[in-house]
Amino acid sequence: MDSTILLFLLQDGVTNGAVYALLGFALVLVFTVTRVIFIPQGEFVAFGGLTYAALRAGKIPSTVPLLMILAGVALLAGLWARRRTWSNAAAAKDVALTLAMPVLVWLITRALGSASRPAAVDVLLTIAIVAPMGPYLYRFAFEPLAEASVLTLFIAAVAVHLGMTAMGLAFFGAEGLRAPPLIDGGITVGPLLVTGQSIAVYVTVLVLIIALWLLFGYTLPGKALRATAINRAGANLVGISTAMAGRVAYGLAAIIGAISGILIVPTTTLYYDSGFLVGMKGFVAAIVGGLASYPLTGLAAIAIGTAEAFSAFHASAYKEVIVFALVMPVLLLRSLGAGQSHDEEE
Amino acid sequence: MTAPLLSIRTLTASYGAVPAVTGVSLDIQPGEIVTVIGANGAGKSTLLNAAMGALPAGGAVWFDGADVSALGVEARVRRGLCLVPEKRELFATMSVRDNLELGGWCVDAARRRSGLEDVFQRFPRLSERQAQMAGTLSGGERQMLAMGRALMARPRVLMLDEPSLGLAPRIVGEVFAIIAELRKSGVSILLVEQNARAALRSADHAHVMELGAFTMSGPAADLARDKRVAEIYLGLGG
Ligand SMILES: Nc1ncnc2c1ncn2[C@@H]1O[C@H](COP(=O)(O)OP(=O)(O)OP(=O)(O)O)[C@@H](O)[C@H]1O
Ligand SMILES: [Mg+2]
Repeated sequence: MDSTILLFLLQDGVTNGAVYALLGFALVLVFTVTRVIFIPQGEFVAFGGLTYAALRAGKIPSTVPLLMILAGVALLAGLWARRRTWSNAAAAKDVALTLAMPVLVWLITRALGSASRPAAVDVLLTIAIVAPMGPYLYRFAFEPLAEASVLTLFIAAVAVHLGMTAMGLAFFGAEGLRAPPLIDGGITVGPLLVTGQSIAVYVTVLVLIIALWLLFGYTLPGKALRATAINRAGANLVGISTAMAGRVAYGLAAIIGAISGILIVPTTTLYYDSGFLVGMKGFVAAIVGGLASYPLTGLAAIAIGTAEAFSAFHASAYKEVIVFALVMPVLLLRSLGAGQSHDEEE
Repeated sequence: MTAPLLSIRTLTASYGAVPAVTGVSLDIQPGEIVTVIGANGAGKSTLLNAAMGALPAGGAVWFDGADVSALGVEARVRRGLCLVPEKRELFATMSVRDNLELGGWCVDAARRRSGLEDVFQRFPRLSERQAQMAGTLSGGERQMLAMGRALMARPRVLMLDEPSLGLAPRIVGEVFAIIAELRKSGVSILLVEQNARAALRSADHAHVMELGAFTMSGPAADLARDKRVAEIYLGLGG
């Protein structure tokens, strides 16, 4: 293997790893705020990628009616939760707030039709379509279980994953979609061609990481999310609504998923169920980070991406097997060292 | 007599099938300090947590003339009912300043700023340690931070669960001085204490709790003179 191939594989690995890092962050966020090991994170990736590809092709993405259905279910769950303290005004507000977003994106996608437009419009529209799915899922699947054990929540997450995959098949069919690169061309650095697409990935991931860092470190709502993750009872006592924190965390997770999907879909064809494997790699990174540490998760993700690129080059049929097998010793080490770090659960 | 600011009506609470509070009623008038004393396990903390909405409870809780029984913890905080719990529940890996600012989550930015000044004035120690992680504070400092954080929400009724727990006698004095000052600034206080002597001295009204129910109630001064209370809770048996 010469140095050009080495550099190429490294670039490939870091590009993939950057996306896994984003997904890992979303999982850490969701877990620390709501204690849910969020298996369906991958579905946001698939739906984000498919939505973006459909929009680029001038079609109305199937996620638009899907969003409507999820909103409907979330609304019913919300109204049901109100049954003991029913008030017409509050119920009407629920209806308006829950249905506003799906109706709005439906009107916009219809108005745009197949007219050509800048990619940025489709990026924003994709985020607008996928982001609300997070809070809707939380509303009907996890909020009612807020007091349940981590295991129960995990089982619910697996159920939601299976349900979402089935919905994906029903709405998108078995056909895969692919989108044109976010940025055409590329620049040559020494022997290496850095594609515009990978530059788009690096810039997006960096901007998102900085945005998250500013959000959690320097804004009160971001600190409120962190506080909920650190001490749920304490957060309640200062008036932070755990349910609201959960919805925000899921919304952020869905945004991150959608962006990841947009970043991936120009490089590989995505299918309704492609999200799972991608999400799994983010998941493994998050686990290596102990579902708590953002920097560790990021490093692990880059390592996983690189390992994947190299194994794809040497034995492409076994690439997933190699990646997950490499992770085993890390998980083993973690579980051996985990004894002293279980202080959160009371 | 004015209407009570906080009114707890035949409140019950249990852990699974085990009852911990069995039909307790109490009223707090505006500007009043009410104390509940009782042995370990009597149900005092359970009473406060249930009144706060942090535990499922039977009976009713009225705050400022409205029935808040169906409301969650956050909604009660918004109305001006705050609890400093026995466990403090600070945000251990966040700075003192972040803890305080989050205490003002429910109030607007201007009130948060003035609240912070007010808390730093009341607890100069917290001002010196703004950047320190809450989890590394000493016991007394943690208690000050817990009270400061609750004050940031501008409570009208502040419920304190054993504010003197684990503190050196000199600091206990400080804490009770702060409680007296708070009352002067118009905050009503529901005080649960092991230190019955200090509690009875600073309170207007007192209740003795045993096995989940009140067994004696009256003006604090009267209870302090009561023979049975003196024997059991003030350690003056003869
Ligand atoms: N989470 C819980 N699960 C089960 N039982 C509990 C729980 N918390 C408290 N109890 C029980 O409820 C009863 C009342 O407890 P509570 O904490 O209210 O007492 P307390 O009067 O505050 O005592 P202390 O003075 O020691 O703080 C006790 O018998 C206790 O064992
Ligand atoms: Mg107690």
